[in-house]
Amino acid sequence: MAEAPMLQVENLNVLYGDFQILWDVSMTVGAKEVVAVLGPNGSGKSTVLKAIMGLTPVRSGKIIFEGEDLTKVPTHEMVARGISMVLERRRLFGAMTVRENILLGAYHRSVNKDIASRLEWVESLFPILAERRDQIAGRMSGGEQQMVAIARSLMSRPRLLLMDEPYLGLAPKIVSQIAGIIQRINQEGISVVFNEQNVHLSFGVSHRGYLLESGRMMLTGTGEEMIHSDVIRRVYLGV
Amino acid sequence: MTISLFIEQIINGLIIGSMYALVGSGIALIYGTMRVLNLAHGEFYMLGGYLVFLLVVTCGVPAYLAIPIALLAAFLLGALIQRITIHYLLQREGWAFSTIAVTLGLSIFLQNSALLLFGENVQSVPYYVTGIVEFAGIRIPMQRLLILGVAILTIAVMTYVLKATRLGWAIRATSQDRDAAAVVGIPASRIYLITFGIAAALGAIAAAMMAPIYAITPWSGLPILFKGFVVVILGGLGSFPGAIVGGLLLGVVEAVGVQLTSTEWRDVIAFALMIAVIWVRPWGLFGSKS
Amino acid sequence: MFQPLRPWQWLLVAITLAALAVLPLLSSNSYVLHVLILSMIFGIFASAWNLVTGFAGLKTFGHHAFFGIGAYSSALVALHSGLSPWLTIWIAALIATVAGLFIGLPILRIRSMPHVAIVTLGFAEIVRITISNLQSITRGELGLWGIPPFESFTLPVLGEMKFSPADKAGYYYLILVLLVFSTGLITLLMRSKSGLALVAMRDAEDAAESLGVNLTRHKLLVFGVSAFLVGLAGAFFGHYIGILTPSAAVGPDLMILVIAMALVGGLGTLSGPLAGALVLTCVVELLRDLNDLRLLIYGAIIVIVVMFLPKGLATLGPIVRRRFTYLRAPTTSPAKHL
Repeated sequence: MAEAPMLQVENLNVLYGDFQILWDVSMTVGAKEVVAVLGPNGSGKSTVLKAIMGLTPVRSGKIIFEGEDLTKVPTHEMVARGISMVLERRRLFGAMTVRENILLGAYHRSVNKDIASRLEWVESLFPILAERRDQIAGRMSGGEQQMVAIARSLMSRPRLLLMDEPYLGLAPKIVSQIAGIIQRINQEGISVVFNEQNVHLSFGVSHRGYLLESGRMMLTGTGEEMIHSDVIRRVYLGV
Repeated sequence: MTISLFIEQIINGLIIGSMYALVGSGIALIYGTMRVLNLAHGEFYMLGGYLVFLLVVTCGVPAYLAIPIALLAAFLLGALIQRITIHYLLQREGWAFSTIAVTLGLSIFLQNSALLLFGENVQSVPYYVTGIVEFAGIRIPMQRLLILGVAILTIAVMTYVLKATRLGWAIRATSQDRDAAAVVGIPASRIYLITFGIAAALGAIAAAMMAPIYAITPWSGLPILFKGFVVVILGGLGSFPGAIVGGLLLGVVEAVGVQLTSTEWRDVIAFALMIAVIWVRPWGLFGSKS
Repeated sequence: MFQPLRPWQWLLVAITLAALAVLPLLSSNSYVLHVLILSMIFGIFASAWNLVTGFAGLKTFGHHAFFGIGAYSSALVALHSGLSPWLTIWIAALIATVAGLFIGLPILRIRSMPHVAIVTLGFAEIVRITISNLQSITRGELGLWGIPPFESFTLPVLGEMKFSPADKAGYYYLILVLLVFSTGLITLLMRSKSGLALVAMRDAEDAAESLGVNLTRHKLLVFGVSAFLVGLAGAFFGHYIGILTPSAAVGPDLMILVIAMALVGGLGTLSGPLAGALVLTCVVELLRDLNDLRLLIYGAIIVIVVMFLPKGLATLGPIVRRRFTYLRAPTTSPAKHL
């Protein structure tokens, strides 16, 4: 690659107390790329995304985005650098309305402008949210809440979107809807990193994947390469 | 007792209750945003009282100037205290207890600093307004009506701030989900700092308004802290509107209770009401179970 | 924490006890005895509070209620019934236990720490105001005086045990015995099934409940024992001091003092509250001349200990050791690429 990738994660080590969650994890994400982070339950998938976003303290390692070292940048400054995140289980502001939740996505000063056009763009992606704008977010269905969460994260017009378990707890029909949304977001020129346990589900939309096991990066490659890999079979089937 | 005297007592209860509401809403804001139980909250009230006393009585500053200055000072003091103690404790394990313990220590420290600085003499401030309003046999001093007016104004301003300003949205978002708020760019630690300051200022408003009718002593914070606790239990810990309703309710219940027993049982009535509510509805009278 | 003591630890305990036992024979200075007696009263109080707060994980702030209930019950029963203080202190401790179970039941239903803190504070205020208001019985803030002292008796070797302001040796030995009794009871309790269950589950209550462990019964037992010991300390305090006022025997200041002691010594340790009680009582006495600064310093001590020594003085050592183990670098394993 001639140019450095958009996001470079280098030798990330993360500990909770004395328990090490991530061991020297490295990965890259290119511009306009969709990358899936795979792995069984408890392998540290979520921690990778949280560490990039600064939600989990990093013991050692580097996170470089568009040439800038973001390792020490606090979470609330990330949107200003062009990174946004959809947290696991949506994590909406449950007592606020759909519109309030979405508007909060553009809270940061650096992105708190042209609100009308941002809103128009986001609501063109999710027309249903325009209809439901005055509904209390916490009372919506899981799929609708996920749409609000994604809409909120897009209000800052990120160049990289991190999605923590976007399919978790959703009905199969909604899952394919969300998968469509991920592709749509990517067509808008946004890179997406998401994590998911199910390998086949992941490669429906992603260009590339990484496989984590017990906090270590075991494998990377395109969907085709990974699905036929022995390592995947060993990690998932124990053979 | 005549009906009009009874109504007078209820109105007085509402007026005192509106002050309980201001103190309680500060405790509720702090708990709501950072899950910290502030045992030093009464000291903001006590120091607010002394600030107003110093400005009005000692320096001769007119009340309409003295009160805003006292509010600003209380805001800064609250923010400072948050920054040098709570801010660090929240980043550590076991913060739920350590924050309670540290605010307890601060409370004793501030109380006795005041004792050292101002002595144990009882102080008070002259009435801001004089005169009595009479209507259908009910007599209410203007000073008390002013208290109610200021309380209503304060609550209206706070409601506006929370509902309609950028800061208010940030406070509400942080209190609902700290991580989600951080992800959209809201710096939790700055919001905590400001919230603590606002809560301290709410305590100081109550103190400023009560200064002409209740004595200012180094120990005046503790009883009002207990009242504030009762208020937040009634309204549901962490709920701003709950604290407002809880405060008014407590004021009225106390007024009626004192009519039925006597003044020295006022606090026992308040605590008994609180324990009863915790027994039946631990999430408060108006909150929901979740 | 509650393993049987090693031989050297037994030796240490024996030497300490022997030193405490012979002290009155060496020095008849009643001021020194007074300071030690107060230390031991607060030692029992702080240990018993720590039993609930440090071991059972129930953060209560209203134990001064039991101290006051113990003090007033014993004094009043002895005054009005003519029963000996030797008996009434136990009756008073039982009354405190009943009060403990009465308030313990509702607060054990509450999961939220702030609610527990508020309710226990409120309960203690109710007790204080009630004692203060029932002036016909307690004389309120005027003070309940004329509390009978313990009757003296004669021991074979030590001679007559007197209980008077001039000769405090009797009080000294009695509170020493009560302290040993209290520490023994706490140790036994924490080594019992209830104690082990509580310590194991202290920080993982949800996990405990999902495993089907019902902690309420164990916690209630611990709460009752704690109230009993605090009541006993309070009862002794009344007969020792001879005069009780609601603010001195049930005031929030008392609770603050005890919390400071437990925090300074180290919450959740057996020896911490005892050490804290001794240190802070001595500090108070050294600051006698600076009486106005006493509480100011307590407040500052609590703040400083919480901020900088979260585990108290007693566990300063392990903290230092842990600092060093943090520096161990994690072992590495490179990712395998295709």
